Amino acid sequence: MNLLRKLWNNLHLFMALPAILLFGLFFIYPLAQGIGISLTDSNGMAPPRFIGLQNFVDFFHDARAKKDVYNTVFFAIGSAPLLNVFGFLYALILDRPFKGKGFVRAVVYLPAVISPLIMGYVWYFILQPDRGFLYHLLASLHLGTGGSDWLGNANSALIVLVFINVWQFVGMTMIIYLAGLQSIPKELYEAGEIDGAGYLKSLWYITIPMVVQSIKINVVTNIIGSLSVFEVIVALTDGGPGYSTESLSIYILRMLYGSFTGYSTAVAMILFVMIIIPVFLFMRYINKKEFEM
Amino acid sequence: MRKKKLGLLLTGVMMVGLLAGCGGKSEDSPSPSGNAAGTAQETAPKETVKLKFFTGKVETVDLMNTLIQKFNSENPGIEVEQEYQKDASNVIKVKFASGDIPDITTVVEQDYIDQGKYLDLSNEPFWPRVLPAVKELSTDVKSGKQYQVATNVTMAGIFYNKKIFQELGLKEALTWDEFKANLQAIKDKKPDVTPLFIAGRESWTLGHLIEFLAHGIIKQDLGVKSSREAFINNESDKLKFDQENGPIDTFAKRLLELQAAGLINKDALTATYDNQKEAFATGKAAMISQGMWVVADLLKISPDFQSDLGFSPYPSIQDGTKPVVLSADDSRYAITAESKHPEEAKKFLEFLLQPENLKTYSEFLKSPPAFTDVTADWGPLKEQANQALSSGVNIAFTDSPSGFSGDDAGRMVQELLAGQYANSLDFAKAYKDAWDKAWKATHR
Repeated sequence: MNLLRKLWNNLHLFMALPAILLFGLFFIYPLAQGIGISLTDSNGMAPPRFIGLQNFVDFFHDARAKKDVYNTVFFAIGSAPLLNVFGFLYALILDRPFKGKGFVRAVVYLPAVISPLIMGYVWYFILQPDRGFLYHLLASLHLGTGGSDWLGNANSALIVLVFINVWQFVGMTMIIYLAGLQSIPKELYEAGEIDGAGYLKSLWYITIPMVVQSIKINVVTNIIGSLSVFEVIVALTDGGPGYSTESLSIYILRMLYGSFTGYSTAVAMILFVMIIIPVFLFMRYINKKEFEM
Repeated sequence: MRKKKLGLLLTGVMMVGLLAGCGGKSEDSPSPSGNAAGTAQETAPKETVKLKFFTGKVETVDLMNTLIQKFNSENPGIEVEQEYQKDASNVIKVKFASGDIPDITTVVEQDYIDQGKYLDLSNEPFWPRVLPAVKELSTDVKSGKQYQVATNVTMAGIFYNKKIFQELGLKEALTWDEFKANLQAIKDKKPDVTPLFIAGRESWTLGHLIEFLAHGIIKQDLGVKSSREAFINNESDKLKFDQENGPIDTFAKRLLELQAAGLINKDALTATYDNQKEAFATGKAAMISQGMWVVADLLKISPDFQSDLGFSPYPSIQDGTKPVVLSADDSRYAITAESKHPEEAKKFLEFLLQPENLKTYSEFLKSPPAFTDVTADWGPLKEQANQALSSGVNIAFTDSPSGFSGDDAGRMVQELLAGQYANSLDFAKAYKDAWDKAWKATHR
């Protein structure tokens, strides 16, 4: 009897067990193994040899890796803030009552449902010079710019990639903000109105603090998503021309495919840290902020 | 009120359904399971062996599916499954590493041969039927054994539009100057036609340019056997990758020349293989660099194109060298050493090598069979191919390190065309670095 009660009182511990097991099996174990492999010169076939931090040292002398870090960070700095700003604006606008609200929301959200790979290929055919839809459209409007090879030029290709990513996932961000907006009790706004707060003031002092949970989710997922960008690049430029739009996650895969398993794992570790740091800093900042509010 | 009634009705229907489901189960289930157990004990069931066929050859996916279907129906108990991957020579590496090993594959790389990844096929009965030259190319230079067999001979060179050539009075080019003059003439007189169409989004087609044009110089200088050895053992004094006016430097210069003169398509970096075939078969491009594998698709796009299809060797890109034409073993098969069903895999290979199936394959691919006992009507290029073989030096595919595939080389050519190298020599040096790095990763 006593034992049963003890069990009952500690049930929460056992309830967490499956989660802990899964976390260990699919996160901690691979991570530990990854750290192990990243310290070797494994080529995936011959037995690996321990080489210490050599892979990490190599990374900092690897011109292609540097370029990929630049591309990845460029993509993330382009995408994450735009996604959040536009997602929030869309949510604010589409939260108001108007006819056909559901339809408009669905249209904004729709691209997020389609696989980024397919989306990328569709855009690829739109953007092709001389053949693409955009070229024909601009030509019929007597605008000549459709002939330029947007994806063949390294600088414009990156910008196009950011644009498509934002366009595709703005709906996802919007939905999360919408959920946050709808959980704000109307009384708060009424009280604000009585106190004489205008739209901007109530936006700043009521809306934003109240959707802080949505901000957290969106910022974190957007940082993670854009720093590990993969599909849209594969579909649209395949990292090209050359390596000029290659992201770190594509590099990791290609190194793994080649004979650089150890090095590839080391780069994966570096990307892991690159993602963890901004997420950690942001969470710390926002939690502190939240406490103040 | 009405809604409530409807709800009740629905609930009732569902309940009945549930009960019926239960009843049915309890009555019927014992007998079939009993039967199954009975037969299992009597005839010790033969489990179906699943064979995995792993390929990187996009042009044969449909054909292989029909051949596989035929094999599966003729061989109960064996079931072959095809898996195609775009970047197959790289993907197979992950498969080897993760233990998801295909039984039979078209991907054969020297590194994997060195690692003992393939089954020795030297003692198989089909070898006397194979063309001696193909057998030589199928032989591993290091061990002298055969780990692979090829079904066909393929060729690659310049495909050109005969009609345009006749109209402008052009002749097949053997030197670089002639080649450029041809392209220039097309540009001047037919401004709507792309002189040379490059499909640069597909990095493999660019990789091929290096393999045939740049490596072509090395291959003709050293000859088949010793050039293979030089590539496999990375003998840098023979390869001279980073030498000024060496093979890679010259190649890069030539390509940039064409780009600067506007003799290639403006979207050379983003045009796909499909775009290339389309443009060529519809007369919007006058020349392309491809292999025999392209012919079937060209004729699919425009069946009348057959009479306009011309084929010539690659012009010599360096003074003092000769034009080259790729003439090599194609459609190679290897059985993996770790295959759990080597016997069945061999059976499937035997099936593919039956004269009748080789004929189908060869006629589909429009390329000559590598087996002496197969007579196939393989297509419109028969005569021109023979002529090309006699006017150009015959070269084979390159054995590159597995970490530096044709795709990787092609991406470097993309960089070159995108203007990311200060000059051609920088490109040559970077090429050598990438090659050496990949070679060292598997030779230590």
